[in-house]
Amino acid sequence: MTTPLIIGSVAYTPNVVTIWEGIREYFGEGPTEMDFVLFSNYGRQVDALLAGQIDIAWNTNLAWVRTVAQTNGQCRALAQRDTDTVFQTIFVARTGSALGGLEGLKGRRLALGSQDSAQAAILPVHYLRQAGLAEGDVEMLRINSDVGKHGDTGRSELDALRAVIDDKADAAALGINTWEAIGRDELMPGAFEVFWESPTYSHCNFTALPTLSEARVAPWVEKLLAMDFGNPAHRPILEMEGLRQWVLPQLEGYVSLFDAVKEQGISPRW
Amino acid sequence: MVNAASINRRLVLDLVERIGGLSQGATVAVPLDGSDADLALVTAWCQRSGNDLVEVVDSVATVRRGGRPDPYAHLEPDQIPGTRLWMYTNFDCNLACDYCCVRSSPQARRRALGVDRVRRLASEAVDAGVSELILTGGEPFLLPDLDGLVAACTTVLPTTLLTNAMLLRGRRLEMLHRMDRDRLVLQISLDSPTPHLHDRHRGARSWERAVAGIRTAQAEGFRVRVAATLEPARFSELEPFRAFLDDLGIARDDQVIRALAHRGVSHTGLELTVESLIPEITITADGVYWHPVSADDDDQLVTRELFPLRAAIEEVKRRFIAHRARADAAARWFPCA
Repeated sequence: MTTPLIIGSVAYTPNVVTIWEGIREYFGEGPTEMDFVLFSNYGRQVDALLAGQIDIAWNTNLAWVRTVAQTNGQCRALAQRDTDTVFQTIFVARTGSALGGLEGLKGRRLALGSQDSAQAAILPVHYLRQAGLAEGDVEMLRINSDVGKHGDTGRSELDALRAVIDDKADAAALGINTWEAIGRDELMPGAFEVFWESPTYSHCNFTALPTLSEARVAPWVEKLLAMDFGNPAHRPILEMEGLRQWVLPQLEGYVSLFDAVKEQGISPRW
Repeated sequence: MVNAASINRRLVLDLVERIGGLSQGATVAVPLDGSDADLALVTAWCQRSGNDLVEVVDSVATVRRGGRPDPYAHLEPDQIPGTRLWMYTNFDCNLACDYCCVRSSPQARRRALGVDRVRRLASEAVDAGVSELILTGGEPFLLPDLDGLVAACTTVLPTTLLTNAMLLRGRRLEMLHRMDRDRLVLQISLDSPTPHLHDRHRGARSWERAVAGIRTAQAEGFRVRVAATLEPARFSELEPFRAFLDDLGIARDDQVIRALAHRGVSHTGLELTVESLIPEITITADGVYWHPVSADDDDQLVTRELFPLRAAIEEVKRRFIAHRARADAAARWFPCA
């Protein structure tokens, strides 16, 4: 019997326990057993990966970028959710604001999520720069209500939307998952409208160090990719984790975040 | 779609945040402003997000993370409401057991369902997905047309007939003789391996005659199930009783031992309520009841309308699912450990 692979994950909601107990049970069918360790934030998790205390880390995109930086590019992305390959940042304003695009934010107030949230802070600033808006052109309202979780809870994104409702901000940047969670603009007509959507990019992935052998990685990834949304035993776990299919990573989807981290001088460590 | 002018923009944001902090199946109480728009919005959000609006009481919505759990998940297949249908053929009885849950006795009014209603119920039961019929009383063998009534059931579904087996002679034995051995099980009441306890509750010499009735039914080629009603304290002394039933040739699966219920004329026993009973839909001449143990008590009356049967079954299922949802929510509100 081989030693179980130890997977690290950040406990951003109590449901994480249910999800990982379900995945562990699935892997318990063999041939590659696994167990999991939960962390309170991604910094601790990446430190544990680098220290060899866990074999694989379930990382956000920023945690991936920082792990790449700390390993000089030696780490590997093993797999991700289908939804991770088409993640987006959404810019919203109150309905009728007629901002028309990112350029319309000039001289306006933009509410951003936690400073380490790729989708709600780092990439939005990157997109503004790409749109030709210099620092100071847009008044940033930073809402750091869930630092360390990389926006996983979405709490800071909800707070950004509240800032728009309360007229403390003219617009907010948030992840597509939070936009979906509030029912897009369909449940609350007249509340918010989208005035810009980012290109798709990659979000979370399973990250491993090169010291983890291919002989151990390959059967684990193969078993992971075999989880089937049509299987009643697998489906609840996949639904809770927010995917229909595990897929191989699309590394080109991280280019924009690497660029953003570089241009904003974000450190490789926490 | 919710009216734009009256929309509570914070409500959905609060729902997302508060539900996001819960584990699957946990609930949260979310205050509403009492308006129709708020109720429509929380309902629409729950439908869209796959979460469960458990109930709204006094402008407070209880929302469960994740879909509504399968209310039948922990039930055996034959416990799922609507799988079995009980029919009280009559309420009069040759015995006056001191614990009878439906107050049957020689003085009780007959209140018979009658063969026409039984036939219609059996027919509608098939269409409603029922897979087993159970006839009880009173003592069904007091009915002069019991054989026709049983035939109306056994021609459509497997059937069980409850009896004290004390009347199986003469004309009544001839009725038994005409019943379908392949489709009918006889469930006979016997409370102890010796006469004392049984006779104390059910009358002098009733044990001896019930045992004789069991043997008669077996000799007629019927599968016999024995059902005992025991005070809870006697559950620690079952083995002699089981050994006696083994010797009588009653298979272990056909030895049904149940606790005394505090219902009918019984002064002691388990308290059984709609909330604590898995329903077994029960039809009497007076209406549809939640469970056979309470078929003479208005607190478990579901409806006075026997027909259409499917509607009564659906109503029982609806109430059961609602009870389970409330109980699940309450269990999470009041954890004891």
